[in-house]
Amino acid sequence: MATLRLDGRRIEVQDGDTIGAAAFRAGVRTFSRSLKSHRRRGLYCGTGDCANCLVTVDGMPGARACVTEARDGMRVTRETGWPSADRDTLAIMDRMHWATPVGFYYKVFSRPRWLWPLAERVIRRATGTGTLPPTEHVTATPTRFLRVDTLVIGGGVAGLAAAAAATGRVAVAEGGSIGAAAIDPEARAAIDRLAVQARVAGVEILERHAAIGIYEGPSVPLLGPDELVEVEASRVIVATGAIEAHGVFPGNDLPGIWLGRGAARVAAAGVKIGDRAIVVANTDAGERIGAALRAAGAHVTVVTGRVLEARGRTQVSSVTVLTPQGRRAYACDALVLSLGWAPRDSLLRMSPDPEVVGAGEVVLPGCSLTAAEDSGRAAARGESVEARLAEPWPVLEHEGYVCVCEDVRVHDLEAAWEEGWTSSEILKRYTTATMGPCQAALCSRHLAAFTQEKGAVPGATGRTTARPPLRAPRLEELIGGVHEQAERRTALHERHHALGARMDHSGLWLRPGTYGEFREEIRAVRQRVSVMDVSTLGKFLVGGRDARALLDWTFPLDVASVAPGRARYLLALDEAGYVMDDGLLAALRDGTFFLTSTSGGADRMEAWLRNWIDRLDLHAHLVNQTAQLGAINVAGPHARDLLAALSGDDLSREAIPYPGHGEIEVAGVPCRALAVGFVGELSYELHHPRGRSVELWDALLDAGRRWDIRPHGLDALDVLRLEKGHVYLAQDTMPDDHPTKLGLDWAVAMRKPDFVGKRALERMAQLPLERSLVGLRFDGSPQRGHPLTVDGAIVGRITSCTESEAVGGSIGLGWVRAVDGVFPAQLRAGELTATVVPTPFYDPGGERLRA
Amino acid sequence: MSLLVPCPTCGDRPFTEFAFGGELRDVSSPDTASDFARVYLRENTASAQEERWFHLLGCRRWVTVRRDTTANRFER
Amino acid sequence: MPELRGGQLAVILCAADAEALDALVAPGHGARTLRTCSDEVLVVAAPDVADTVAREVRDRIAALDPDALVLDVTDGWSAWSLIGADAAHAFSYLSALPVPDPGGFTQGDVARIGATVLGGDDAVTILVPAYWRQHVRERAIRDANAIEVRP
Repeated sequence: MATLRLDGRRIEVQDGDTIGAAAFRAGVRTFSRSLKSHRRRGLYCGTGDCANCLVTVDGMPGARACVTEARDGMRVTRETGWPSADRDTLAIMDRMHWATPVGFYYKVFSRPRWLWPLAERVIRRATGTGTLPPTEHVTATPTRFLRVDTLVIGGGVAGLAAAAAATGRVAVAEGGSIGAAAIDPEARAAIDRLAVQARVAGVEILERHAAIGIYEGPSVPLLGPDELVEVEASRVIVATGAIEAHGVFPGNDLPGIWLGRGAARVAAAGVKIGDRAIVVANTDAGERIGAALRAAGAHVTVVTGRVLEARGRTQVSSVTVLTPQGRRAYACDALVLSLGWAPRDSLLRMSPDPEVVGAGEVVLPGCSLTAAEDSGRAAARGESVEARLAEPWPVLEHEGYVCVCEDVRVHDLEAAWEEGWTSSEILKRYTTATMGPCQAALCSRHLAAFTQEKGAVPGATGRTTARPPLRAPRLEELIGGVHEQAERRTALHERHHALGARMDHSGLWLRPGTYGEFREEIRAVRQRVSVMDVSTLGKFLVGGRDARALLDWTFPLDVASVAPGRARYLLALDEAGYVMDDGLLAALRDGTFFLTSTSGGADRMEAWLRNWIDRLDLHAHLVNQTAQLGAINVAGPHARDLLAALSGDDLSREAIPYPGHGEIEVAGVPCRALAVGFVGELSYELHHPRGRSVELWDALLDAGRRWDIRPHGLDALDVLRLEKGHVYLAQDTMPDDHPTKLGLDWAVAMRKPDFVGKRALERMAQLPLERSLVGLRFDGSPQRGHPLTVDGAIVGRITSCTESEAVGGSIGLGWVRAVDGVFPAQLRAGELTATVVPTPFYDPGGERLRA
Repeated sequence: MSLLVPCPTCGDRPFTEFAFGGELRDVSSPDTASDFARVYLRENTASAQEERWFHLLGCRRWVTVRRDTTANRFER
Repeated sequence: MPELRGGQLAVILCAADAEALDALVAPGHGARTLRTCSDEVLVVAAPDVADTVAREVRDRIAALDPDALVLDVTDGWSAWSLIGADAAHAFSYLSALPVPDPGGFTQGDVARIGATVLGGDDAVTILVPAYWRQHVRERAIRDANAIEVRP
């Protein structure tokens, strides 16, 4: 015999049982305790719409017992009530309505203020539905993309008919199993027939995949049992059906009160819902529901009318109905409501896309099976169906639970209205009605009807906005493959690892920070020779007859002044005249240009250049060579000696000027050698085919042993460039730094007629210079980011700083503001004194890099 | 989840494949006064506007498209 | 579970005026010519014919656009192929792009990066900038359940 454990108690499971059916058969009537008042709640909707039966299954909370398949060995616990749902000490809350009026947390416990944190802790522990299992780590749910022409949400009669009739690629997403919601043989037969038709037509049916929202596209995420499917559809047909309208009357939340279809569904599982059942049916489903209940052994009376009141202690024991013949009171242990129809239209209401349409009961509530099928086929043909109003609609009695999830009664809505919250959206937020786990499935129309009855202004009486997600997704479902960073690697990645490098994330790239001792690396650069992997640099080839015009427009430098064979420092300004990126421009001998940018700015540089090619309709050709070329910077007093050992080419300053470039072969690898000066020593940045990076690197390290070569990484680079006063963009610069603030006016050719940012620079030249980046010397070791002060007032900040062996002492860069029009020469950084000094700190004449 | 941008080369693609380039504006201005407006001021209209989008994860080219900012739909 | 194979493909890039590329006759030798956008063509070929193909493209485009750039950019690209009857299904775990027909191609988001995707028979080839080679390999194994087969 198959069994599951419910709160430790063994319960028999029959074939096809849901957890709810098995538990009910075993005598369980209280499935949860309500949020605020800890009232008993039992199975109500029976179709997975309300939140009364939320249970934790095998450690995972949030399962609806009425639609969750029961399996042998399951461990199920009810989530609310302490010490148990049956005996809840906090049931006393049901007598404390006077202390917890609507919005009480704004009124009670908020004063004295010190009381609130204590009160909050108690309140939190007393509420909530379920406890998350403690997990060590979360692994992402597999995510896949599915592109279809038509997505049908809902695998009932209308949905399957639509899917079978739709052309192109079609998928059906059904939250449960196909046919599980059918309450009579006729419906089941129709579903079986249509399911076969759909499968024959090649429709992909995704069972146990719940659609949690409809986003722009339209696109629909489906939560499956162990996958997330992101569906992109040209059309979406929502065929999610309808449930009975929620009844609001005194005693309406007692266990033993059911919505009709749910009761019939449980009865279809062979569960007797009571000895004496009263069905109050104002729809024409009454007889069908009654028949289903009788088949499971209940004695059933079907009446029509208005439910005035239900009474009972731990479950319903009597109901008073105003029938056409007058007031009648009935003794009962089950009250089944079919007072009207509430289409499950949240998904439809989420999407204004005309490509999202409804079919079946979601637009024609209470329609016949044939009508549902026809509307499905019509939707597949592209005909939209006019939604029929959900009538009849039950009257809101003077008392009763409107929002069952959040314990909001009619009385609470009335009180909130009196306090001045006179629109449905505001009432929602103040009372929390519609904000519970059922996400307005039961009460959204009731809330709207309430505001209409009270005479709210037009526009304040609508149903509250429907938003995704419909069900709470788990964290692992949300992170499925979406938010991880893609890492870029150079061809020398394995070499860096083999040398013991600490690899750092530098933007999107993985780069060596240091190979062990960054001070040793600095010494190698300054005194001997070193190499660095700078393959991450943005690299571009620009050709075409308008290449020069493109570069002259895009950048502030005078391209004509860069002769073939020469290179020039390149500043990139945005349209506001602010420094966006920097690099090098080399004029190649064949009339094309090679330019480099910072590693992090490569994509932006490409987009920037392509923008101007497009807007100015230039005949210029741009190739992004960032991936195609590796680059190794050979730097140090012996840099030329090292290259000479591996190359027969002319490496003199005549052949490769500074700043300039030359095409040479090093260790048999063809290289474009850029004579650069970033680290302040004689340097050759060797750009070569990426496929030969390893070969070149190995050859340089091998031949370099003669000078005790060691490679350097980012940590060393930071010090080396700082000793030369070179800026790191976004560290030393701010988004509104124009060249003057950075002392880079020399890189701007204002004599050119026009270039990007020129007018902005002209405008800013009229304004007083308020901020400047300066070199600093400290009498101690400051921290990066530390404020700089004059007489206690903050006038700047340290942007970079380091101890420098080469120049002796502590140096840095920082920005300072002018005080009374004058830039201070001496500042304080906490306990330290900072003196403004000219840069570069090291080799100010630049003799070493011009060697 | 996906606002679809109509790329003439690659077809309709989710906006996540693109970088947004803002309202279409003039390439340059005749003087500093009009330049300030061109660089900093936007129409910010509640209707259709011309915009620039860069297809970063696709063809890596710019497109100028017309989008209705209230309905958030592109015009073809 | 599909196979994952690192590809050996040569890639030739031709950047030229749109009119010139419209008139360009695609090279043979089994090469696939992809018009990636109006002003650019990528020619994907077997490595042993790379030089021949590059020469052919260079010669043909010179007459149509003397300023055109033709470069062997093989080093800049890495190719990974998902192979097997379930290749298309496996690809759906990496990308929302529709799998191109054999001989066709598409460009877009694959494993959160920009890729060029080539359709084949029971095979999908993903072409990405070489610095993302490892990223695609890892995602194909982790998310598409591919099994790497080394040459």
